[in-house]
Amino acid sequence: MFRKRLSFLRDPFTWWIGFLILLLVIGLACAAVVFVQGLHVTNLTDLVPWGMWIGIDLSSIALAAGAFTISALVYLLRIKKLMPVAKTAVYLGLLGYTMAVLTLLLDIGRPDRFWHSMAYWNIHSPLWEVTMCVTLYLSVLALEVTPIVGGSDVVQSRWPRLGGHMVSVHKLAPILAVVGLCLSMLHQTSLGVTYGVLRGRYAWHRPTVAVLFIVSAVAAGPAMVVFASQVASRITSKAKIKPELLNIVAKYIGWVLVGYFFLRVWDLLYLSYSVGEVGGETWQYLTQGPLAINFWVGEMLIGIIIPMIILLIPKWRTNPRLQILATAMVVAGLILYRWDTNMLGQMVVYSYLPYDPAALFTSYLPSLIEIGAGLGVVAYGLLAFTIGVRYFRIIDHYEEAHEEHVLKPVSIPAMSGD
Amino acid sequence: MGNKTIATNTMKRRDFLKLTIAGLATTTVAATTMRNKASGPVGDSPHKWVMVIDQSKCNGCGHCIDACRAENDVAPDKAWTRVIAQEPLDGQDVYLPMPCMQCADAPCVDICPVGASTYRPDGIVMMDYDKCIGCRYCQLACPYDARSFNWKAFTGENPAVPDWGEPGVERRPRGVVEKCSFCYHRIDRGLAQGLMPGVDAAATPACVVACPPGARIFGDLNDPNSEVSKLVATDCAYQLREELGTEPSVYYLPATTEENLPCSENA
Repeated sequence: MFRKRLSFLRDPFTWWIGFLILLLVIGLACAAVVFVQGLHVTNLTDLVPWGMWIGIDLSSIALAAGAFTISALVYLLRIKKLMPVAKTAVYLGLLGYTMAVLTLLLDIGRPDRFWHSMAYWNIHSPLWEVTMCVTLYLSVLALEVTPIVGGSDVVQSRWPRLGGHMVSVHKLAPILAVVGLCLSMLHQTSLGVTYGVLRGRYAWHRPTVAVLFIVSAVAAGPAMVVFASQVASRITSKAKIKPELLNIVAKYIGWVLVGYFFLRVWDLLYLSYSVGEVGGETWQYLTQGPLAINFWVGEMLIGIIIPMIILLIPKWRTNPRLQILATAMVVAGLILYRWDTNMLGQMVVYSYLPYDPAALFTSYLPSLIEIGAGLGVVAYGLLAFTIGVRYFRIIDHYEEAHEEHVLKPVSIPAMSGD
Repeated sequence: MGNKTIATNTMKRRDFLKLTIAGLATTTVAATTMRNKASGPVGDSPHKWVMVIDQSKCNGCGHCIDACRAENDVAPDKAWTRVIAQEPLDGQDVYLPMPCMQCADAPCVDICPVGASTYRPDGIVMMDYDKCIGCRYCQLACPYDARSFNWKAFTGENPAVPDWGEPGVERRPRGVVEKCSFCYHRIDRGLAQGLMPGVDAAATPACVVACPPGARIFGDLNDPNSEVSKLVATDCAYQLREELGTEPSVYYLPATTEENLPCSENA
């Protein structure tokens, strides 16, 4: 009897959940220190005011881009068989955005004033636009995830009526896909603009960052979905995948990477025109300086070239292991690109004298408190994903539950003008 | 693929276009009707305050920093006006004192997500410490690193404030970004008393009043007879990182060697 009661200890799932909860508790403790003591417990300075947390924030928003990309494929391009993949993508999207909001709450000096950007508008600020879009899109994602949770066995068996109402939100899906597409295109780009408008810092923060941010997100968001689905299906029987569906998405990622690769090269060649007299120096910081390895190996080789080749060759793309490797590389490349844009850009300190391109390099290493709180946010994401796979069946390509809502042509009364 | 599906497709696309157009129209209307209300129109004031810093006179003593800390209740570990040592020129030490440049086209004002940084009509860039959420985007945007964030709360007595006086402004809370304000409160109070900023000490920024060698000169650029107007008109007056187009309100006169007369006397 006793032995039977302890049998859950032999289940690796218990240990995994326990590990994540431990990280989460450490993260909460670190966050409490930040809120009580203030941001001086971080290693951020007036020269490097945006650090590791902003890196997590940027990466999780970009990796959540699978939600709007795959929703657009399903509801606008009408590739309906990708429906189950969109479900995974939308759930991962909600995770990414909640992670971003959590890190932002940690990062701002006055979290009690988080509502100020809703109340006091500065429409000229890209960060204001990002805040508004993220808030609105978070609501869209919450609505998109509602039927997933409502349709799960956990809710259906206990509160069938509530579950039914939640599932019926699915009728909004095509509208939500359009709204989500608009909001995402706006703020994924504006996150790049946030850096692009910093005219005092021209090396990593160029106007072209806006284009590179949206295109890299459109490639890496779906890569995150494919990677998560493949890995989960190998670990647990709760995740059921149809490889042919993921292969479609993988092929799409490969072609987006081609476009992204072109834009990266265009951006490099365009440098000397876009930033005027200092173009030469910028070229050097990026491609030759002490920080160049991040660019060549991290962003270009791992982030674009190798996965692009794997995903464009049908034989390699359909090999599950290579597909996991390639999508993991795209995800890693995106995270590196976001971290480089945020951090390396601040490592360069420019001279104050007029027409003097001379620059110094500063440094930044996150403090233990920052790392602890950051890991807590990541642990929250992994925990929510695990719960989603186990209880909400977010990776189940054989499920046909809500099909009937989609197959019906949805009429939008206010819009049908013809 | 039946005809029905195709028909549905077209309808969807049309709806999508309609939604997009409606969205764009709303944004345009919002953008044109809404102004950044907190910002007054720059130039509505008869004054345009500027500071001229003569590097040939600055000896790096740092009295400006202390005076500023006392006047504005700035914590000992930060400085609203920094003094940076530069490469010596012919054995002479050269310093670069840097207050907030009060740019006419300030990157910090454009990008603040809550509009906590605004222009006064007389060109001073103001901080609304009650609005600031502490996102520090303005620190990233400022090309002069003129802003400092309150990483911790400043509590207790300020060692820079003398026994016989008290600061002219309120202390800022933890978690907001603060910066030099050209001592706007001294200017406003002075003007109300009929004093002239730059001429009368009580109406002039504290750092200018306190500078022992008189390296800082303050005044109204709209007044052609003011000392600053004459200094700015000289060939050698320059602005920091002027290639960025921020149009700073702080001008510099370069340090010169003994063979050349100081620039201020060439005027």
